[in-house]
Amino acid sequence: MIDFFTDPVLRAPTWGCMLLCFASSLVGVMIFLKKRSLLAETLSHAAYPGACLGVVLFSFLFPQGEHGAYWAVLGGAFISSLFALLLVHWLESTRVSSDAALCFVLALFFGVGIVVASGMQSSIPVWYQEVRMLLFGQAATMSDLHIWIYGGLALFLLSFLFLHFCPLQALLFDRDFSKSARIRVEWVEKAVFWFLVLSLVLGIRSVGVVLMSGMLVAPAVCARAFSDRLQTVFIIAGSVGAASGFLGNVFSFYAHIPTGPTIVLVGTAFALGGLLFAPRRGVCFRLFRVFQFRLRCMEENVLKAVWKKGTVSERPTIALRLALWQLKRGGWMDRDLQLTDDGRKKAALIIRLHRLWELYLTEELGFHAEKVHHTAEEMEHILTPDMEEKLTRLLENPKLDPHLQPIPEKEL
Amino acid sequence: MKYAIEAEGLNINYGKLSILWDLSFQIPKGMLVGLIGPNGAGKSTLLKAIVQLIKPFSGRICYSGHIAYVPQKETVDWDFPITVEEVVLMGRYSRLGLFGRPRRADRDAAKAALEEVGLLACAGRQISELSGGQQQRLFIARALVQNADLILLDEPFSGVDLASEKVIMGLLKKQKETGKTIVIVHHDLPSVEEYFDWVLLLNHRLLGCGPTKEVFTRDHLMKAFGKTQTLFHEALDLTAKNMSGLL
Repeated sequence: MIDFFTDPVLRAPTWGCMLLCFASSLVGVMIFLKKRSLLAETLSHAAYPGACLGVVLFSFLFPQGEHGAYWAVLGGAFISSLFALLLVHWLESTRVSSDAALCFVLALFFGVGIVVASGMQSSIPVWYQEVRMLLFGQAATMSDLHIWIYGGLALFLLSFLFLHFCPLQALLFDRDFSKSARIRVEWVEKAVFWFLVLSLVLGIRSVGVVLMSGMLVAPAVCARAFSDRLQTVFIIAGSVGAASGFLGNVFSFYAHIPTGPTIVLVGTAFALGGLLFAPRRGVCFRLFRVFQFRLRCMEENVLKAVWKKGTVSERPTIALRLALWQLKRGGWMDRDLQLTDDGRKKAALIIRLHRLWELYLTEELGFHAEKVHHTAEEMEHILTPDMEEKLTRLLENPKLDPHLQPIPEKEL
Repeated sequence: MKYAIEAEGLNINYGKLSILWDLSFQIPKGMLVGLIGPNGAGKSTLLKAIVQLIKPFSGRICYSGHIAYVPQKETVDWDFPITVEEVVLMGRYSRLGLFGRPRRADRDAAKAALEEVGLLACAGRQISELSGGQQQRLFIARALVQNADLILLDEPFSGVDLASEKVIMGLLKKQKETGKTIVIVHHDLPSVEEYFDWVLLLNHRLLGCGPTKEVFTRDHLMKAFGKTQTLFHEALDLTAKNMSGLL
């Protein structure tokens, strides 16, 4: 594994991709939180025609030159992304809606890029390879020069974040307020856009214009799922970015598949993992908590039924068996499915909540007595002790519910 | 400057459409001011012009002392990864300088403001955990730490229940007692007389600016909300369409 960092052939793609993905995921957090993810998509596609034209120009000026082509690609890509950014801003300031403006600019620029590239295929085929690889990137041919470029970008971004964290946070959260409070956000805002264009343009070499925006946004999505603090979101996103860069390289090396798409797939897998398995926001844990809630409702309904009728009369389903098992384990019921002392108190409490809620709906909110049972069936599982106390006080410790059934006394 | 806010011949356009039309008024210091008018009358625009988020097309508007602006709470993403305390600290960011971090004094000020609005217990929570009324109080706490002489609030009572509205109004009245000027964009007419000392009645044009008793009259209100206005707005709208080639 260590070979990936030291081997003269492997080290440039490994370090290059890791540093680039690290840097672009930091930019991605800013863009994601500003809700401008689609802008990244548009600008990376818009880099393509500029890169193509840069190479065309270079091929005319230096027909024999080989090494300068990379700079021509960068320069051209940078200029056309910047043009696209200005065009998007201008369109958004007129009556055109934001998503229409983004779509229009993306299609226009990328279309021009494809036309130029296919023109090159027939007229200057030698150079066509250079622009074709920009579509999906070609990490394997990176040199040590790229390590320095991407390292520089990462360092630059880190120091920007470290020095200007406060104004950046204010800008991302509430731009109008920041401006009104004279927080110096104008140039921080400009810097964010420069970093976006810069990391997109530098990134297309390894990941390609088509997939670059995924590399920006995926780590941010993953990080946001795990944390509610901006600092932590940046740290997690940076780590996820660097990890995808590394793992993408390793997988593509062993499986002989292209590096750029592999990196993006790994990043996306991280994002998906975050959305599914994050402790608080992840889908899995939320489903689990829903399941727990439903089970608790069922347990409480069983307690209620036994309190009223003395036995469990329903045919036991799997869920009911689980609920009964839980009740016995928790000491609410004994072996013969009779309520223990604790169980009886708890059942009385649930019925108390049910009837208090019914009374509240009819007395205070003017519901009809026939219509309150249904919502009370739900609320009895939800009302907190604090709300129970408020209800008791509001209704002046009532004895009878709207159906003239007794409300059980509060037991301690 | 004698006045808290002073406007002279203020005109504001969005593209070709004129939003505010030749406004001239003065608001004295230490007042609780209601900025009243129908929907789309340019109330929020006027606030933004005061804090210089929007440049006037012509004329001028200025204020004295420090200013704090409380935007509509719908304008921010409440799912943003930030805690209650950090939002309040933002009110002190303008004093940090370019490379600064909040210091002990800033944190103390934030805590005091949270205490004042009754949110100290929530300081470490993520902002989406707050209720609508709490979110509004959070924004007010952020304005308090700015230590401004003039506080502008854009629809602070939208999406807030009546109990919270009373609490917020109490907070603002207390600020007024300390000599601050408070301007509130408001559109609930029945509570105007109870809340405000001074009223600015707006419907694209200025229809009245003065003590509540003088301005908040049937006569003025008819001008602001009545049917006589519609012809004027129709004409403005037509002008904008003609100018932009849509007609």
